[in-house]
Amino acid sequence: MSLFFQLVTSGLATGAIYAALALALVLIFRATNVVNFGQGEMATFSAYCTWQLMQWGVPLWLAVLASLVGAFAIGIVTFRLIIRPMMDAPVEATVVITLGILVLFQAACMWIWGAEQLSFPSLFPGGGFGIGEVRVLASAVGTLAILLAIALAMGFIFRFTKLGLSMRAAAFDRTRSVLVGVDVERMLMLGWGFASVIGALAAILIAPRLFLSPTMMTPILFYALAAATLGGWDSPLGAIVGGLAVGVTESLGASYLPFVGADMRIAVPIALTLIILLVKPVGLFGSYKVTKL
Amino acid sequence: MRDLSLSTAIKLSLFAIVAASISVFAPAYALQQVAIAIAYAIAILGLNLLMGYAGQICLAQGTLFGVGAYVTAILNATYGVSPLATLPVAAAVSAAVGLLIGLPALRLQGLQLAIVTFGIAAAFPQLLLKLGSLTGGVSGLPVDAPETPGFMTDVPELWLYLIALACAGIGALLVSRVLFGDAGRALRAQRDNPQIAQALGVNLTRTRLWAFATSSALAGLGGGVFAIVSGFISPESFLAILSINIVIGSIVGGVTSMAGAFVGGLFMVFVPSWASDINLSLGNLIYGLALILIMMVARNGITGFIEKWISMIFRRAAG
Repeated sequence: MSLFFQLVTSGLATGAIYAALALALVLIFRATNVVNFGQGEMATFSAYCTWQLMQWGVPLWLAVLASLVGAFAIGIVTFRLIIRPMMDAPVEATVVITLGILVLFQAACMWIWGAEQLSFPSLFPGGGFGIGEVRVLASAVGTLAILLAIALAMGFIFRFTKLGLSMRAAAFDRTRSVLVGVDVERMLMLGWGFASVIGALAAILIAPRLFLSPTMMTPILFYALAAATLGGWDSPLGAIVGGLAVGVTESLGASYLPFVGADMRIAVPIALTLIILLVKPVGLFGSYKVTKL
Repeated sequence: MRDLSLSTAIKLSLFAIVAASISVFAPAYALQQVAIAIAYAIAILGLNLLMGYAGQICLAQGTLFGVGAYVTAILNATYGVSPLATLPVAAAVSAAVGLLIGLPALRLQGLQLAIVTFGIAAAFPQLLLKLGSLTGGVSGLPVDAPETPGFMTDVPELWLYLIALACAGIGALLVSRVLFGDAGRALRAQRDNPQIAQALGVNLTRTRLWAFATSSALAGLGGGVFAIVSGFISPESFLAILSINIVIGSIVGGVTSMAGAFVGGLFMVFVPSWASDINLSLGNLIYGLALILIMMVARNGITGFIEKWISMIFRRAAG
């Protein structure tokens, strides 16, 4: 039984990373109806920026802070230059353009920093502590705490501030929001900025474990996509629950299902995605949409 | 209508001239490269049907391509079937796999298929390694060269090139049969407005599934041709990035154009190899920029751009 709890704990820690990236995806999807396949690579770029700053002698926390500000700028610039002109394009066009973002940022990382893996320091102390027979790593607790902080901050902003209200309005109905005086474009831009920051945070948290490389976030992005589909694309809460659920299922599946094993663990999110699409296509927390002709 | 058939005739003869001059002037190695480009072009033809006309996007076209390649290789290496005879099976198996993937994803508009196929593309190389006893694992599988007819024995590459070209011809014929019939009209209708199309009696799921199966079959055919032309395949050739590269090839050539599929295939083979002489990441940088710029500036790709210019010149000459 202690193995089970051990697997759940490590699954939750990985799941928190998936949840953070899924949250970024959902924020962007709600605001601009775009699934950003380049989210992971944009985040990797920010993690590289942190690494570079530290090579120049900047202390860790300051380097992280500076790259998060940088990530905000990257999100905004990407929106202005690439997404805004494409806002009313059909779905397949937006998928293609965000694939372009993926390829572009990956190539940029490889061009500047090369393809070899770089070691990345952890934000948290090593070690951990035991609860009964289950060993909990400090980094796992830290990652979950950061996810909780992001969720609370976002919940607070969206629910209790005027900015959050305007952002929700802009995401809900662009035309009518303009009529009541919301600066829609600025809200969507901010949405991209915030999402980029959350994504960057996910990359910085996972980098110590996976080592920094230009393709580091590509598999993580897939888990995040599965998480967002599982939770429902229009629900931030769904993204978080979905991320944690994907993390735990993956960790359990890799150990208990003989065919899956460690090398086919990516089959778990695929199976989850297919099942949710068959059973409840809008996701666990998603809402059905009514379209008028 | 006469204009249409005239312009089709002009395009076809242009294409024949280009295809023939490549076979005459290109050296043997380049000829094999072009044959590989044509194999990709067959997969792109399928993707064009799906993206350009059905409005769906598949990020596992490279995986279905790989399925076709492995069907050909396994049938040939393990069961000794002659390579050319494996091609219809490769197409059929890929179509079946496509149906299996598409069934849950295609009930919804657009995005779900992209998400599901993105994951499948990532899992495919792992699956090939896992099924090592069937697929040869890391070391891959050899494929026999098809028997070259007597008068061509000194240039076997030419024969490979002709095989690839013939398969591409079959693919193009299939796509044009679909596009110019009722199925094509139903496809375009559900892309432009699914609700109205449904009200007019188009079965959305069935139409999309059908387009996806055709597209997958073409990917499988292309993969089979790829296996025959390369003579050897391994999981390395079917990484997730291949699927993205096929999308890039399709967009660069022009999603609604058949000639564009060939432009895209050539782009996929030759641009990275030229660019990597300068810098290893330059190829990807060009890929990324090409994708974004083409989507923003010239939605119909290179062929769409050229066609616009040609028709402008004609109009000026006429007026």
